[in-house]
Amino acid sequence: MPIPPRFWPGSEVRLEPRTACRVAAHLFFSSIIRWRLGLAIALAAAFGAAGRTDILELPVTEVVSGIFVHNGVHEEASAANEDGIANIGFIIGNDAVAVIDPGGSFAEGRALRAAVRARTDRPIRYVILTHIHPDHILGAAAFRGDHPEFVGHDKLPGALNQRGDYYLRRLRDALGDEANGSEVVLPTRLVADRLELDLGGRRLSVQAYRPAHTDNDLTVYDHETRTFWLGDLLFVDRIPVIDGSLIGWLDQLNELTAIPAERAIPGHGPVSVPWPAGAAPERRYLEAVVHDTRKAIKSGIGIANAYRQVANSERGNWLLFDEYHPRNVTAAYKELEWE
Amino acid sequence: MGVTSAMFGRAALCLLVLGCTLPGPVRAEPTEAERVARWADLRHAIFGDRAVEDAGDRVTIDAPVRAEDAAIVPVAIRVGESFAPEVRGLYLVIDDNPSPLAAHFLLGPIADAREIATRVRIDDYTYLHAVAETADGRLYATARFIKAAGGCSAPASKDQALALQRLGKMKLSLADRSRPDGPRKAKLLISHPNSSGLQMDQATRNYIPADFIQTLDVTYNGQEVFRLESDITISEDPSFEFSFRPSEPAASGVVKAEVLDSNQRRFTQSWPVPAAEQM
Repeated sequence: MPIPPRFWPGSEVRLEPRTACRVAAHLFFSSIIRWRLGLAIALAAAFGAAGRTDILELPVTEVVSGIFVHNGVHEEASAANEDGIANIGFIIGNDAVAVIDPGGSFAEGRALRAAVRARTDRPIRYVILTHIHPDHILGAAAFRGDHPEFVGHDKLPGALNQRGDYYLRRLRDALGDEANGSEVVLPTRLVADRLELDLGGRRLSVQAYRPAHTDNDLTVYDHETRTFWLGDLLFVDRIPVIDGSLIGWLDQLNELTAIPAERAIPGHGPVSVPWPAGAAPERRYLEAVVHDTRKAIKSGIGIANAYRQVANSERGNWLLFDEYHPRNVTAAYKELEWE
Repeated sequence: MGVTSAMFGRAALCLLVLGCTLPGPVRAEPTEAERVARWADLRHAIFGDRAVEDAGDRVTIDAPVRAEDAAIVPVAIRVGESFAPEVRGLYLVIDDNPSPLAAHFLLGPIADAREIATRVRIDDYTYLHAVAETADGRLYATARFIKAAGGCSAPASKDQALALQRLGKMKLSLADRSRPDGPRKAKLLISHPNSSGLQMDQATRNYIPADFIQTLDVTYNGQEVFRLESDITISEDPSFEFSFRPSEPAASGVVKAEVLDSNQRRFTQSWPVPAAEQM
């Protein structure tokens, strides 16, 4: 369980054939006026954001030429924030655009798309899903009309099979009607190791990892500006969430921090941090969790109480510490008790 | 004792009658009277017309008031020292779970009944009941309320490749003894998804089939410590803490665990226990 923290969520509103059938049945039995209304609703639903004019643009910051990032809020998912709690954004090349994480809900994805369209008419060729967590990817359906490649880790489809529906339900619980339109979109292009993308004069390397934050983490490296987009392999300010392998994460951090970059874009935290210095607090927290959890297991402290003894020195360093730390320790305990 | 499979059947049947808690629209929070009635129904389904007395301080449940992760809720059943030698069976019932009878421990001759602990999934705010059965067939029940929700349908583990590779592997940890003739306290971990059947496959829109540990037999030098009969309520990678009193406390020996799961897979593992003076 997962652990998946409380902010990860879900909605059942999806444009499935069944829904279409219901719309068709409704049309058959209703008056002309209602028919027109029904058609309008069906069309709006079918084309999502495309036909709408009242869509607000998601605020984004251009951290370096052509790279735009929306700064997620450090809150739990809610109707007010539309699950816009993660850093998401896009990279514009000479020929095409790559979206990196379509956002936590259809509403947020649609607003992100509006932010792209306010800056360029170039096609959105790729939507990169950095990992399974709902605050990053449940907005993917907002980009369906662009017919992009949805790029994901080769473990992502399996993980979505297991968890997608659960996340949608949780989103529905947290957002109510604001979750409408949010869907699980399966990746159309899988990355087992590395994938090179060309946006026109701009080369992106998409790299897949072994289990760390989750078992389906991807990063994106922009060679043009030497910008390293880390998704949730990098948390700054907001407490990291352990949902893959704690030991794996620390291992990958060694590899990641050896990669030279001008700046890194964390999945949560400021839109840009220096690299590799920006990874230091995360490493310190994860190391403290490993050290103290091992100690708790060794001294026979049970899984229920271990978090009280683990990494308490870190409490003041992170936002939402009390919300996520006990679960992190439960996950760490489950992993480390097999050592 | 041999009728416990039938008991699981009866508990499952009772679900259909009571209306079970499969994931779906949020139900209204039950009143205290409804909770009491539910336990009465469950008690009847599991124990028939047998009298179930209040355990008083003979049996207690140790569990967090509010669980950090509803898919891994640690629960310990404790039995008072003077009462423990009479106890031959322990039942753990989670009233509002889809499959309420979570575990039935049948204690062997060398078991120490004073504490047995595991980790369970909890689907909704619920009472837990622990019932001790004595050698002469008396039943003593105790209850505890717990706040946790979503544990049965919560998605399974993070690292699927590791889970498959490790399937059926077990790990035993023995605690140091305070006295050389004291009971041996042990923790057994079993790598197994213990799927609840309530987790959904997004691609097929079907539930992932339940795949869980049905029985676990633990022996020491061939003598039975306990047999567990259980089902989907036990958490992924089941964990059991228990104690036993070797008939020759200082001698070396072998702990053996044998698992049979719902897909008829059998996993067996043994661990040598060094003699007391070598520890």
